Amino acid sequence: MGRKLLLEKVSVEGIRGFDVYRREGGYKSVEKALKQMTPDQVTDEVKKSGLRGRGGAGFPTGMKWSFIAKPEGVPRHLVCNADESEPGTFKDRYLMEFLPHLLIEGLIVSSYALGSHVTYIYVRGEYAWVIDILDVAIQEAKTNGFLGNVILGTGFDLEIYTHRGAGAYICGEETALLESLEGKRGNPRIKPPFPAVKGAWDRPTVVNNVETLAAVVPIINIGAEEYAKIGIGKSTGTKLISACGNINKPGVYEIDMTISVEDFIYSDEWCGGIAKGKKLKACIPGGSSVPILPANLLLKTVKGEKRLMNYESLSDGGFPKGSMLGSGGFIVLDEDQCVVKHTLTLARFYRHESCGQCSPCREGTGWMEKILTNIEKGKGKMSDIDLLWDIQRKIEGNTICPLGDAAAWPVAAAIRHFRDEFEWHILNPEESQVRNYGLAHYADPLEPVVATV
Amino acid sequence: MTITQSFPPEKLARVKELIARYPEGKEKSAILPILHLAQDHFGGWLSTETMDYVAELLNILPVEVYEVATFYSMYNLKPVGKYVFEVCQTGPCMINGCDEIIQYIKTTLNIAVGETTGDGMFTLKTVECLGACGYSPMMQLGKFFREHLTKEKVDSIIAECRKTAATNN
Repeated sequence: MGRKLLLEKVSVEGIRGFDVYRREGGYKSVEKALKQMTPDQVTDEVKKSGLRGRGGAGFPTGMKWSFIAKPEGVPRHLVCNADESEPGTFKDRYLMEFLPHLLIEGLIVSSYALGSHVTYIYVRGEYAWVIDILDVAIQEAKTNGFLGNVILGTGFDLEIYTHRGAGAYICGEETALLESLEGKRGNPRIKPPFPAVKGAWDRPTVVNNVETLAAVVPIINIGAEEYAKIGIGKSTGTKLISACGNINKPGVYEIDMTISVEDFIYSDEWCGGIAKGKKLKACIPGGSSVPILPANLLLKTVKGEKRLMNYESLSDGGFPKGSMLGSGGFIVLDEDQCVVKHTLTLARFYRHESCGQCSPCREGTGWMEKILTNIEKGKGKMSDIDLLWDIQRKIEGNTICPLGDAAAWPVAAAIRHFRDEFEWHILNPEESQVRNYGLAHYADPLEPVVATV
Repeated sequence: MTITQSFPPEKLARVKELIARYPEGKEKSAILPILHLAQDHFGGWLSTETMDYVAELLNILPVEVYEVATFYSMYNLKPVGKYVFEVCQTGPCMINGCDEIIQYIKTTLNIAVGETTGDGMFTLKTVECLGACGYSPMMQLGKFFREHLTKEKVDSIIAECRKTAATNN
């Protein structure tokens, strides 16, 4: 069993309520930070811990915090990004639903570090009942002196408010989120200026993911040094992985980032193997935007090493031969799944979620969906594959926000690794309507790398 | 257009409370939560009149409300049934058979995606990823998620809705 820092107490009865949470050691990090540390010391501790943004980008959190501008007389804000919408990702929902006070605790400590006296939790609109849970937790924290004026007599004031979104994946992008918080359409802003300088209502703002802010609690409790000992290399601490697809035990798991992908899929401690005794065909390890990998490249890197569940190992080989840890949305496909159809559902998702601001993304996502629909329905042409490749290349890097890249990458990776499945669909228009391409060679052992030097 | 709609006092108090969460002069920030409140209160969708009313509450131009309401997929811009089945159709749900669930709902209720049953009871919508990938196939029904859907579960949800509607009438 790996060490658990976030979900350790999730099974304790009544942990959702303040009293039990407090009895189990909750809010200790608030006492420690507010009474014994300066805001800068808290930021330094987070920096030293090596914590990286858990929303998907993996940017060092402490560094992000240190960028916040501190102009005289201008309020600053912390905004918690709970707009979890990346297909395959449902970890933040789990954390907020079952351990709401852990997030509130993390928010208090982080707000203190950043000097935010009004902090917002931007929650995706569909998680309506989760917002109710958070509102209750906020009220409880307030009643018990952990929110409001002069928290614990320290002179630090803080209010936390939930803000309900209304169904837009793009609002998970931090500048779109800020537009939405201001009551506008979720169109991402051009950076710079960065939110740390001009964020919500033009005030310096830091936007962090739910899991990131919750991780601040154990960092303060056990100390940065201890936290950084968990994990490997630049993947310190623990990570929540939401696992779904054709596995025996879908759910949210907290892992330390030293375990192998193979163990994560097949061990009973985590996914418990592929459902119905079938074989693994492919996997998207970090949310729909990151490259899909065939079984053989997922379990081992091109160097023949076991691939591990962390930032570095999952991206080993770059985009041609690797993927990303991303948001930790782990989607497993068994031998009966059709990569063409799966890619089509993702292309449709990005077309639906494109805000329409940049032409390459607005037009390109629609074209990709149409072409993939044709191929999937047995009406594709061989030239369509190159056309898809060309379109995704022209979206990538040519948009204001990363949604363009996120839409391009799944299509690119599917063609890169599963081109023969696309070709089979096109060459066998009738057969492809009644059966899937199957496992083919996707789980075959990789060819050994021949040293070229 | 003359606005005849109005929230009851307790909802107006809620509006005030929501607006107070944001900095002074930034009342518009409360638009998303207030549109949710309005949609729930005025029959499950946002008519032009409702949106104009929200504009009035926030002291902004009606067009500012329209441009927001048309951006976000949770706001219904035309009438919907009493119960809206929002079935997820993105990758992880597709892997676990959402297509069959959608097909089953279509056949059972005899409506196409986007349509409402003749008695005004049910609307079927397909939606993109709702964050329940590990518990798929799933749908949103009102405030809550219905997960691990099967044909039998769909039947019992339909029966449950009819029963609730009959009790409330």
